Amino acid sequence: MRRRPIAQQAIGFLTIAPGLFLILALTIYPVGYSVWLSLLEKHSFFPEQRFIGLDNYIYLWGDAEFWQSLWYGVVYSFWTITLQILLGVAAALILHESFLGRNLARGIVLFPYMIPTIVAVILWKWLLNDTYGLLNYALMALGIIRDPISWLGADHIMLSLIIVSVWQFFPFVLLAVLARLQTIPLELYEAAKVDGASAIRRFLHVTLPHIRGILFVVILLRSIWMFTKFDTVWLMGEGAGAGRFIRTLPVYAYMRTLTYYQAGLGAALAVVMFGILMVSTVIYFGLFRREADIG
Amino acid sequence: MTPRARRAAGRALLYVGAVVLVFQAAFPFLWMASTSMKPPIEVFADPPYFVPKAPTWENFVRLFTSTNFLIYFRNSLTVAGLAVLLTMVVGAAGAYSLTRYRYPGREQIATLILCTYMFAPIMIVIPFFILVKKVGIENTHLALVLAFASFCLPFALWLLRAFFETIPIELEEAALVDGADRLRAVVYVVIPLALPGVIATSIFTFILAWNDYIFTRILISADELKTLPVGVQDLFHSALIDWGLIMAAGVLITVPALAFFMAVQRHLVAGWGSGGLKG
Repeated sequence: MRRRPIAQQAIGFLTIAPGLFLILALTIYPVGYSVWLSLLEKHSFFPEQRFIGLDNYIYLWGDAEFWQSLWYGVVYSFWTITLQILLGVAAALILHESFLGRNLARGIVLFPYMIPTIVAVILWKWLLNDTYGLLNYALMALGIIRDPISWLGADHIMLSLIIVSVWQFFPFVLLAVLARLQTIPLELYEAAKVDGASAIRRFLHVTLPHIRGILFVVILLRSIWMFTKFDTVWLMGEGAGAGRFIRTLPVYAYMRTLTYYQAGLGAALAVVMFGILMVSTVIYFGLFRREADIG
Repeated sequence: MTPRARRAAGRALLYVGAVVLVFQAAFPFLWMASTSMKPPIEVFADPPYFVPKAPTWENFVRLFTSTNFLIYFRNSLTVAGLAVLLTMVVGAAGAYSLTRYRYPGREQIATLILCTYMFAPIMIVIPFFILVKKVGIENTHLALVLAFASFCLPFALWLLRAFFETIPIELEEAALVDGADRLRAVVYVVIPLALPGVIATSIFTFILAWNDYIFTRILISADELKTLPVGVQDLFHSALIDWGLIMAAGVLITVPALAFFMAVQRHLVAGWGSGGLKG
C-alpha cells in the first residue's frame, strides 16, 4: 500500500473531499455567516439589509428579555443535567447487573431517546393535562393533592419541562456509562470482594474511577445540548402564554428571527450562545482536564 | 442480616429498580396507544382506565381521511431517505479515507468533524434560513435534505470511522497482494465486513432525520411539503384538541423509529465507545 505514496495521498484527499466540502458548506459557512448577519439590521423575509456594527449586541446588553432568557436557560440546564447524570448512572448500574430479561429492558429503556420530540411532548401534555390528565388523577386518587395542578400553567411549566426533558434524554447518559462499565475487568470486583469491600466502597473505588472519563465527556456534551435545546422547550410552551416562563435563549433567538423578523438580532443571539458555550467549555477543560485523561 | 439474606435483598432491590426503569420508559407509550384506540367518550372518561371498552380504529381513519397525515408521512420518508443516501455515500467514502490513507491534515479534518458534531441546530438554522432564501431554494425538499445532511454527516462520519477502524487492514493488504486492485478489494473485502456498521449507521442517521423538527419548521411553509413532526404539531393548534386523533398520529410516527431502532439496538452499546449519539 505504500508503493506510490503520492497517488495514495491523492486518493485519500479525493475520498474525504465531498464530505469535507459538505461540512464546510453546510455547517462552518453558515456559522461564519451568522457572525456577519449579527452585524446587520435585516428583515427575515426581505432582502434589505443595513450594516449597524455592534448595535445588536449593545441592544441585547440592555435587553431585560435577554437576561431573563439566559437565566431560564441556566435553571433549565442545571436541573436537567444534574438529574440526567444521577438517573443515568443509577440506571446504568442496574442494567449492568445480570438478570432475567436484561437485554429487553435495555432496549425499552432507550425508547424515549429514540422518538421524535413532538411525540414526547404530546404524550406528556396528555399525561399532564389539568382536567383529563392521568397524573393529576393518580395524585388525587392517592390523596397526595386535593385539587388538580395546572402542570402547564405559569407556576409549574418549568418543572414539567424539566421532567419531560430528563425523561427524554437521560437514556443517553445511561447508554454511554453502560458502554464504559462493560469494559471494566471483572477481576477488579472479585479482588475487592475478596478484600471484603462493601457495594458502596466497590462503587467508589472501582467503578467511579473508571467512569470518570466518560462522565467528563457526557457532562460536556449534555451541557452543550441542553443549553441549546430548542425543540422540546419550544413545543412545550411555544414562547407565549405560560411558555414565556420557559423562554430560554434558543427559543428567544428563534422568536426574534421568526416572530419579530429581526434576523440580525436572532443571529446575534446565536453568536452570544456560541460564545457562552466556548467560554464555558474552556473553563470546564481547565477545571477538570485531569479527569479526561483517564478516558 | 446473614450474607445470604443480604444477597436476596440485593436481588430484590435490583428487580424493583429494573421494573421501575422499564415502566417509566414504556408506560407513556402504552397510554398513548390505549388513548389512540378509544372513542372520544372513553378518552375523557372519569375515572380513566387503561383497556378501551369499545376499541376502535376511528381515530386512525379520521387521521387518514380528514388530515394531510399521509402526505406528511410520505414527505418524511422521502426527505429522511434522501438525506440518509447522501450522508452514507459521502460519509462512507470519507470514513474509508480517514481510516485507510495517510495524508497531511487528516487528523485536523477528523477533529473538525468532531467539533461540528457538537454544533446545535439552533446555531445553524438561522443563517441557513437566510442563505437558503438567497440561493432561492426556500420551501423545497432539496433545502431540507441539505439541512439534514448538516447534522447527519458529522454524526455518520464519526460513527463509520469507529466501525471501519475495527476492520483489520491486513485483509485488504492480503487481497491486494493476491492481485486484486483497490476497487475489488473494497467491494469484496471491506464492504461485506463493514456492512453491519453501515446498516446500523444508516438507521441511526435515518432516525435523526426522521425526528427533526426545527429545520422543517423554519425552512418549509407549504403544507403539502411538511414532514410529520411539523404537520402533527399543527394538528395541535385547532381550538379543541382532539386527543384521540393526536395520539393516533403519535403512534404512527413512533412505530417506524422504534422498529428500526430495535433492529440495530445491539450495535448501540457496543459502538458507543468512540461513536456516540446526538441530541
